[in-house]
Amino acid sequence: MNKNKAKGWLYLLPAIAFLGVFMVYPLIDVVVYAFEEGFNFASQTYKGVGWYNFSYVLHDPYFLQAVKNTFILVIITVPLSTGLALLISLGLNSIKPLKNLFQTVYFLPYVTNTLAVGLVFMILFKKTAYTDGLVNLIINWFGAESIDWIDGPYWAKMFVMCFYTIWVVMPFKILILTSALASVNQDYYKAAKIDGTSKSRIFFRITLPMISPMIFYLVITGFIGAFKAYSDEVAIFGTDLNVAGMNTIVGYVYDMLYGDSGGYPSYASAAALILFLIVLTITVINLMVSRKNVHY
Amino acid sequence: MTTQNLQIPQDDLKKVEKRARGKRVTGKTLTYFSLSVWAVLVLFPFYWMLLTSIKSYSAYNAEYTPRFWTDAPTLANYQAAFTAVPLAKYFLNTLIFTVATTALMLVVVTLAAFAFSRLEFKGKNLVFTMFLALMMIPNELVIITNFVTITNWGMRNTFWGLILPSVTSIFYIYLLKENFESIPDELYKAAKVDGTSDFKYLTKVMIPISAPTLVTVVILKVIECWNSYVWPRLITDDANYYLVSNGIQEIREHGFGRQNIPAMMAAVVVISVPLIILFLIFHKKIMAGVSRGGTKG
Amino acid sequence: MKKLIYLFLALVLAAGMLAGCHGTLETTAAPTEAPATQEGGESAESGETKESQEIPDVNGFAIPDSFDTSRKIELVFWLKNDSNSAQVAIYEKAMADFSTLYPNVSFKVRKYTDYGEIYNDVITNIATNTTPNVCITYPDHIATYLTGTGTMVRLDELMADEKYGLGGSELRFDSPHAAEIVPQFLGEGVLQGHQYALPFMRSTEAAYINKTQVEALGYELPDVLTWDFIWEVSEAAMAKNADGTFKLNGQKVMIPFIYKSTDNMMIQMLKQLDAGYSTHDGKILLFNDTTASLLKEIAQHAMTRSFSTFKISSYPGNYLNAGQCVFAIDSTAGATWMGHDAHNQDIPKDQMVDFEIAVRPVPQFDPENPKMISQGPSVCIFNKSDPQEVLASWLFAQFLLTNDVQIAYSRTEGYVPVTLKAQNSAEYQEYLSRSGEDNDAYYSVKIDAAKLLLENVDDTFVTPVFNGSASLRNAAGTLVEQAVKNGYRKKDTDDAFITQLYSDTIALYHLDKSAVVDPDAQETQAPGSESRESAEPAQPGTESSQGKTSEPLPQTAKALLYCVAIAWVGIAVVWLVRKIKERR
Repeated sequence: MNKNKAKGWLYLLPAIAFLGVFMVYPLIDVVVYAFEEGFNFASQTYKGVGWYNFSYVLHDPYFLQAVKNTFILVIITVPLSTGLALLISLGLNSIKPLKNLFQTVYFLPYVTNTLAVGLVFMILFKKTAYTDGLVNLIINWFGAESIDWIDGPYWAKMFVMCFYTIWVVMPFKILILTSALASVNQDYYKAAKIDGTSKSRIFFRITLPMISPMIFYLVITGFIGAFKAYSDEVAIFGTDLNVAGMNTIVGYVYDMLYGDSGGYPSYASAAALILFLIVLTITVINLMVSRKNVHY
Repeated sequence: MTTQNLQIPQDDLKKVEKRARGKRVTGKTLTYFSLSVWAVLVLFPFYWMLLTSIKSYSAYNAEYTPRFWTDAPTLANYQAAFTAVPLAKYFLNTLIFTVATTALMLVVVTLAAFAFSRLEFKGKNLVFTMFLALMMIPNELVIITNFVTITNWGMRNTFWGLILPSVTSIFYIYLLKENFESIPDELYKAAKVDGTSDFKYLTKVMIPISAPTLVTVVILKVIECWNSYVWPRLITDDANYYLVSNGIQEIREHGFGRQNIPAMMAAVVVISVPLIILFLIFHKKIMAGVSRGGTKG
Repeated sequence: MKKLIYLFLALVLAAGMLAGCHGTLETTAAPTEAPATQEGGESAESGETKESQEIPDVNGFAIPDSFDTSRKIELVFWLKNDSNSAQVAIYEKAMADFSTLYPNVSFKVRKYTDYGEIYNDVITNIATNTTPNVCITYPDHIATYLTGTGTMVRLDELMADEKYGLGGSELRFDSPHAAEIVPQFLGEGVLQGHQYALPFMRSTEAAYINKTQVEALGYELPDVLTWDFIWEVSEAAMAKNADGTFKLNGQKVMIPFIYKSTDNMMIQMLKQLDAGYSTHDGKILLFNDTTASLLKEIAQHAMTRSFSTFKISSYPGNYLNAGQCVFAIDSTAGATWMGHDAHNQDIPKDQMVDFEIAVRPVPQFDPENPKMISQGPSVCIFNKSDPQEVLASWLFAQFLLTNDVQIAYSRTEGYVPVTLKAQNSAEYQEYLSRSGEDNDAYYSVKIDAAKLLLENVDDTFVTPVFNGSASLRNAAGTLVEQAVKNGYRKKDTDDAFITQLYSDTIALYHLDKSAVVDPDAQETQAPGSESRESAEPAQPGTESSQGKTSEPLPQTAKALLYCVAIAWVGIAVVWLVRKIKERR
């Protein structure tokens, strides 16, 4: 037993070493900053120790706006993208010809530089005085009116954001799910066919449980990733997210770090800890649900 | 008499078969249609990127309404991508960075995933949950502290400074752990009976079985390193250590009063090509998935 | 298990102390409150008292006796260009020329196209003592850099030095004397009573006008525009034909008046009316009644769609060149984009319209006393432990002020050299005289714009620079943008809207940390908040409008906290239940 204990830690050592220096240490720094009130980065001074930072952040309407945006983004994109990825993977699994072609095409977004792709999306959706943008052109073909996607009503901006986010995360999810589906032991299917089980029963009783670990992996990492959304927003709306009303929590953190008056790591850290708390809560819930529903 | 009995069911059978086939055909058509719709949605922005990269600088800036085609395609942007900026050198740097980081990552991640999935030790669940918790920290936060750390270690403008913070990704530890856990216990027990050490089991049994997932992880990490931008930009200000992502930004700013988007797109296309080729090569392996057939036979 | 937890906690504590050391060591205890400073402090006096409290007397840098030319020095230079390779080439030539004169100096360059990025990077590097040697920046940002101890070098002594100062005896190049630098431009680099930056290039704003259209409307273009004139003509230009096209240009699009930088718009309007904007010691006067009435007027014109901004409608030059705009206001640096014959064009040839273009100063309230803002990149140097390095940085910064560099750079766009020496040189005068020879180097609009600034130097002003002035400037711009958006949506810009807008903007840019003063009310809100951390959180009890912790939490925040709390209660319950089930 003792040998085993030490061995486990030994195997973990390299990971712990790297994480310790490059993740845990910064995290502790963050916690320290969060309690040093009003720490100004340029002058490296602070006012005292206490809860002021958290209070400041929670009173800031732009932080709350960012929280709202992030939550909406998460709630919409994670289930949708996972469900859509599942559907597409099932579809891919059921066809033989052209399967490779489709898989390669679907993986393209992952390979390309996100800055460039974001720029393209912005161009496609942006409405200027000269042109309504490609997407609006298509909408016009169908007879509807153009919508100002980048600068217009909140729901339009949210739609663009969700669409882009889903578009970006799909390749990875499709990859994981097709791989998971392919790894299900075909014997189970054969047995079910012989028994004459219906397709939906096969899906719910065999397929789904078999790939449930992967689905939960995607859900958990999907939530975590969606809460950290920021660079995608910048790619489409530019760096002035607060004015566009589309800031996310991480965006707020980043703005605070580099604020115009020298940067406030303290407020940024307080906001980050609040984010951490939220994500931790949701992940723990996810883990508990998964323990019940995941089959190995 | 028996033949008569058989005939009626045959007609029915044909009808049932026909209906079933009809269902299958509509099902298949629907599937192909939906897959194609998504494929178009995915492909269109890339078409746009390619299109932009062959438009000339002045033509692109002059068109106020986006055009689906260009009358005068040009390869000048591709030329500019390599001449205005030492893109070839950046390629080399990125290659070094990617190979080193991926290699290190493989070692670290495999060991950690093995520990979590196979070995029993006190506090395992707690540590794993903490690892997961660390995954929730956004990059933007740790970056400043890491910047200070790396500067204090004097690793600005070095490859080590680029590599070390990028090595570990809990994301992949988690993925690999899930994968390892799906390998049946019987294999492990059998190996133990044979007297194999844990390490041997890891290298001789688990890694080969999990090869597809490992390949997936490698490719994902390669892509991540290839497109890595924020950290290299912060750490390096010596052009000898710039990566391709930095090169893209440089090209973008190499305009004549405004951003040079066509050249930027050309650079992006050039940079993405190696990754696409890599994906095509290892595609089959990735799609093979984990074989559960370890205990069969 | 227990041992493990103890070990773990011990590790965490140790690490915490290490990290804590990180933060604490560098802090200086918050100084005692500064004695109540008098308000409206534009007097040099208040600047002086502040300075003696804020920056320690010792600059940490003493000019060495001589510049050691045998020591190899590498200077890190962060430059800014407008995505313009011609400008980068000029910088590179300057560096090469300097290295020829001083062979022991080499350069490491970083190119930027955005001041914000330079700012971010400098701030990050201040913390690790890896700042560049020389960098192109805005004085607003320098105010922030100064909050760190001894990051920047005061230029007063350096400028006055006999050997290595401006026009010094030991210089290997022909540098301008202090008197040869335009004093108005030099003034912007003065912070807290000392010179911290040299101007590098200067520009102002100008109105680029479609004279043909103005005359078609029946007006005569005056030498100095007034706001009344520009509003009147813009409204007149909105007349439409029966088929919905505009009478003036026969097209479907016409936005008569477009302003590129709305922050300058608001600042200049307030200055012309002698209304409050800010003071040298960081008091914010922007949110006053004059601003409100200006916003209301702007919103009205936005409602008729006769006015728009760059952020809403995109670059004014595009509209001007297509005959869809009468008055396009942009920096003089943007002159190369304006006009039918402009070298830089964003619109296709078939959309361009031929017209007579005129360049005028920005609209004024009082044409007899024009006032216009001057702006442009400045160069600053950073303090280092090696005085030779600092001296080298200073020499290079000076070198950027030599005629060659000044004239070459100013010719790339509508900039103006900051030295009288360059302005009056034969070369530059010849450049000005060749206006109209071609549409490239001697483009008439570009040279007209440069001449505009040269003729109006005495009428230019700069805004006070302090830690937070950059945010304030952005706030001014946002006020205008929001008013225009409100007008576009056909909503009423009434007092309620203005009040809400004020409080939203203050929250957005975190201006509530500085005293917000209504110039009609006489007392300062937070005496002593202009101590070293001028951006520190206001003392509890101050009546700044937004985000005060004494107030109860807003709804969303409460909801958030409750949800999280409930979730954890649920988690605990489920966990307990499962544990119990396991035991059974």
